[in-house]
Amino acid sequence: MSVKAFELVPAVERDLLMGDKARINIECIECCGRHLYVGTNDCFIHHFLLDEVTSSKGRLSYSAQKLLHKYLGLKKPVAELRAASALERLIVLCDGIVFLVDMVTLESVPSAAGGGVKIRGVTAFCINENPVNGDPFCVEMGVLSSKRRTVQIYMVYEDRVQLVKEVNTPEQPVAVSIDGYFLCLALTTQYMILNYNTGASQDLFPYNSEERTPIVKRISREEFLLAAPGGLGMFANAEGASQRAPVNWSESVMAAAVCFPYVVALDENFITIHSMLDQQLKQTLSFRDGQVLQDVEGKVMLASTKAVYVLVPLPLERQIQDLLASHRVEEALVLTEGAQRNIPKDKFQILHRRILQQAGFIKFGQLQFLEAKEHFRKGQLDVRELISLYPLLLPASSSFMRCHPPLHEFADLNHLAQGDQGKVLRCKNFLISYLGEVRSTDLVNGCRDDVDTALLKLYAEQDHDSLLDLLASDNSCLLTDSIPWLEKYHKYFALGLLYHFNGQDAAALQLWIRIVDGELRDSTRSDLYEYIVDFLCCSSNMEIVWKYADWALRKDPTKGVHIFTKRPVCKGGSEVNPDEVIAYLGKHSQALLLYLEHLVLERKIQKEKFHTHLAVLYLERVVSLLKTPKDEDQLTKAREKLQAMLRESHLYRVQFVLGKMEGCEELLLERATLHGKLEEHDKALHILVHKLRDFPSAEAFVVWASSDRDPLYRQRLFHLLLGVYLHDAPSGCGGSSEMEMAAVDLLNRHGEVFDAVRVLRMLPENWSLQLLRPFLNRAVRASMHASRTSQIALGLARSENVQLLHDRLKERRKPIFVSEKKGCHLCHNTFSEPSVVCLPGGVPVHVHCAAQRVRDSPTKRQLTNSSNHT
Amino acid sequence: MPDVPKMKKPDAKLVLLGDMNVGKTSLLHRYMERKFKDTISTVGGAFFLKQWGPHNISIWDTAGREQFHGLGSMYCRGAAAVILTYDVTNWQSLAELEERFLSLTDTANHDCIYALVGNKADLTDPKAHLCQDSDVLSEDRTDCEEARTEPQVLSACPTPPASPASLSGMLLHKQVAREDAVALYGRILRYKGLDEKGSLPADRMCFETSAKTGYNVDALFETLFDLVLPSILRKRHENQASPTVDLEDCREASGKRGKSSCC
Ligand SMILES: Nc1nc2c(ncn2[C@@H]2O[C@H](COP(=O)(O)OP(=O)(O)OP(=O)(O)O)[C@@H](O)[C@H]2O)c(=O)[nH]1
Ligand SMILES: [Mg+2]
Repeated sequence: MSVKAFELVPAVERDLLMGDKARINIECIECCGRHLYVGTNDCFIHHFLLDEVTSSKGRLSYSAQKLLHKYLGLKKPVAELRAASALERLIVLCDGIVFLVDMVTLESVPSAAGGGVKIRGVTAFCINENPVNGDPFCVEMGVLSSKRRTVQIYMVYEDRVQLVKEVNTPEQPVAVSIDGYFLCLALTTQYMILNYNTGASQDLFPYNSEERTPIVKRISREEFLLAAPGGLGMFANAEGASQRAPVNWSESVMAAAVCFPYVVALDENFITIHSMLDQQLKQTLSFRDGQVLQDVEGKVMLASTKAVYVLVPLPLERQIQDLLASHRVEEALVLTEGAQRNIPKDKFQILHRRILQQAGFIKFGQLQFLEAKEHFRKGQLDVRELISLYPLLLPASSSFMRCHPPLHEFADLNHLAQGDQGKVLRCKNFLISYLGEVRSTDLVNGCRDDVDTALLKLYAEQDHDSLLDLLASDNSCLLTDSIPWLEKYHKYFALGLLYHFNGQDAAALQLWIRIVDGELRDSTRSDLYEYIVDFLCCSSNMEIVWKYADWALRKDPTKGVHIFTKRPVCKGGSEVNPDEVIAYLGKHSQALLLYLEHLVLERKIQKEKFHTHLAVLYLERVVSLLKTPKDEDQLTKAREKLQAMLRESHLYRVQFVLGKMEGCEELLLERATLHGKLEEHDKALHILVHKLRDFPSAEAFVVWASSDRDPLYRQRLFHLLLGVYLHDAPSGCGGSSEMEMAAVDLLNRHGEVFDAVRVLRMLPENWSLQLLRPFLNRAVRASMHASRTSQIALGLARSENVQLLHDRLKERRKPIFVSEKKGCHLCHNTFSEPSVVCLPGGVPVHVHCAAQRVRDSPTKRQLTNSSNHT
Repeated sequence: MPDVPKMKKPDAKLVLLGDMNVGKTSLLHRYMERKFKDTISTVGGAFFLKQWGPHNISIWDTAGREQFHGLGSMYCRGAAAVILTYDVTNWQSLAELEERFLSLTDTANHDCIYALVGNKADLTDPKAHLCQDSDVLSEDRTDCEEARTEPQVLSACPTPPASPASLSGMLLHKQVAREDAVALYGRILRYKGLDEKGSLPADRMCFETSAKTGYNVDALFETLFDLVLPSILRKRHENQASPTVDLEDCREASGKRGKSSCC
């Protein structure tokens, strides 16, 4: 479980530093740009120029060139070196004394007038890298001294140091680090944060500094890294809280540094590297005699007692790729995301996407589809990368090329699945769901063809229900690529849909017709014939309709005719001309009949031609059934239809139909109807009464023929029938009494229609009163009713007359004013001529208004209608 | 030296304290990963971020080992809630809370919420045996649908002491009764100088859980998340408003919290 995050590269080898002098050890180092300073235990400072050299193979190495070395003259080890590059000074701690030397000459800086350059009794010091005071030409320094429980803050100038602050500490301080006003201190028994400006302090945690050397390392603004009991590296911020979990070092750690996102620590034998992102140990390098570990300008420098090394971080991408290569997806993503703030935004986005995509493919390879999908989605994967894994799915015309370097190690799906068909299938199902989800998003902009075509192929191959949905809705499937694929999987119906979507309806229909005719096998739709009819019915391309309706009609005229009868009435669109359809249907008699029925009975088109045609077709059918009498039922039905048509339509050409009936002795009833239509009622009744002897029909005939006619017409017809019954009866034979009975029935049932007086005159003398009682009852009642109504009307009229007389008498005495300004009370228009009518009460109205009123008055109406009432 | 990127600061901090081996790490695993897995004794501490609605809550798992005891105050600094964890089969673990851990919470927020949690209830209590966590069986990660009520099984199982023994051997002796925890909770409030009436009631803040079966684990964490929300909002409000503290405002806010917590 290790990552290669750093490489240890030698910088200054032993020879260059001390040759073979065995007792000389490195005590401290400092680096500033290319300048490396090394302090040794024999009180020397060595100055090197360090250059990075990259070999042709990309390996990094350092070449060091010695510039100078200088004895400081104190016979003690150089304990600490810090560069203040803006001042061109090195701050040196040696033998408890802090002083300045020139960075170039390494000469001690002589004290300037007024200020001493030396600080004595110092145990440790640190530089504030984030000073509150922003003066670039001085350096803030925290100093611990051996005897006092204080921290002193100095300002270091080019040629002097100045004490600016001194703060007390509860115990002897051992190590210090500064950020802003915050001192992070290791005291004898604990760590603490101390604000040297306000004096506020915050205990962190106990630590025995006598047992183990404490570490206080500033790692970022207001954040420090501390050595904690149990070999922990603890993080603490200026508020005294921890915001990152600790890392787990060994007990003997002596120095630590941060090179984001890693914490590097040095102990007696090893360099350990932990990630700050997940606290895991990522890399361990063995390193003997370690003395110094220090982060400088993005790298980490190390020194053993004899030599100097640089710990060079490997490029982040390389680290990430290493993690991915060992399928450590989560770690790779943590590392990538952790680096977000260190990389320019656009560069990060590109990197992040790529890593996500790679991560997605790793998860995909492990068949962890949920994770894969999430990574693909976040990484905005070009879906064709995924599709291209599946052989033959991308259309031949696709311009897609896999990205380089490749996002994954798979040649194709078969390579990935190693022949495991179960795996292949799961991958296919994943792609189906994934493409289904993304096809309507922006992710597929610019490659919709590829995506839809791939999806179509998968659906077809997997016999997926959504194939039809895909094709029936808006899609970008490529026709040329899809045809062979759909044919291969016998998805002819679907192919038809695709043809249709591409505007090739003829091709679609041909294909479907072949399926219905059994030439092609595709059981997608068992109702394909109906589907075709429906399709033609809705098609606005008449050429296609004329071409394929014939097939449909031959197959099933009743359903086929729906092509014409079920057409949606489109607004504005040209409707099909019925004449054309009728002409077209000429050879499909059954369909033609249905079509005419549709026109006449359903759409109620009032055209003589259609009505006559339909009547004739009905007639022909009846005639043909009559010739082959086998199915009575059918015949009855056919005749009923014919009769209804003849009765109810007023448009057909009666004479013509009658002519067609010539010689059909059976169709007497129909003939009677036709005669009725021609108002030849006597002929009709003759047929009904004498030829058919069908008295109920005769009675029904007169009722029908006189419906919607005025009462007199009606009366005339009834009398006509009565006459036929009574006078045309061949006296003496048995039929006569039969007809007489019919006459009696007619009278008794429709008494009110007849003119009773006339009837009584017509009736034979010998008929009993009893026989005609219902008729007479009605007749008498009707006549009584009429007489009484007229008496009432008479009375009313009289009283009105009297009233008028009265008014006239009254009005004679006073004038009635009529002027152009006065309005008529009935119509509210003004008067234009002097002649007016006065209503009762002396109200003047127009003459014509008065006349109108009389016409509309209920009494008047009563009078005219009274004859109707029983 | 380039600065190390700052952590995005969480909105609230929740800290698990308690003696080693009581199951702090296991509780967190159960809640975050919905699994019970092998643990090693925690070194130093670890933390997790939990998205709760729009808020980020950091949950710190601390090390119970004596060696790391000193770090506790630092972990507790600024905590909005502290979960004091003991092991129901171990009386000493409860005693340690009072003796060693309570003082660590001095650095927590003044309105910090305390919960007392007796873990490993599965070892003593038949009802904690039966996992109520719906996704213990199925590994899916829907966090919302957990049974928060008492398990139905309770009433359906008339003689608990007899049957569970057959489930996984003998039940251990329960060394810490619920009343002991409730009493300790009272003492904690007193130690904090809090008025019992104005604080969250003991029966709401004393939990018995099992990291092993998942019993009561979601309830514990989610109750606490909900309880720290007012404090998050108040903090946010204070940050937006003037830096001076309005005493009226504070009193009102805490009054509200008291009210909302009792219903
Ligand atoms: N039966 C049972 N065992 C548990 C439960 N929770 C934890 N354990 C066991 O108790 C032991 C300690 O669990 P941890 O979660 O590591 O305890 P901890 O509190 O984190 O310990 P430190 O990290 O040392 O402070 C482990 O062996 C767990 O398997 C529980 O609910 N029931
Ligand atoms: Mg633990």
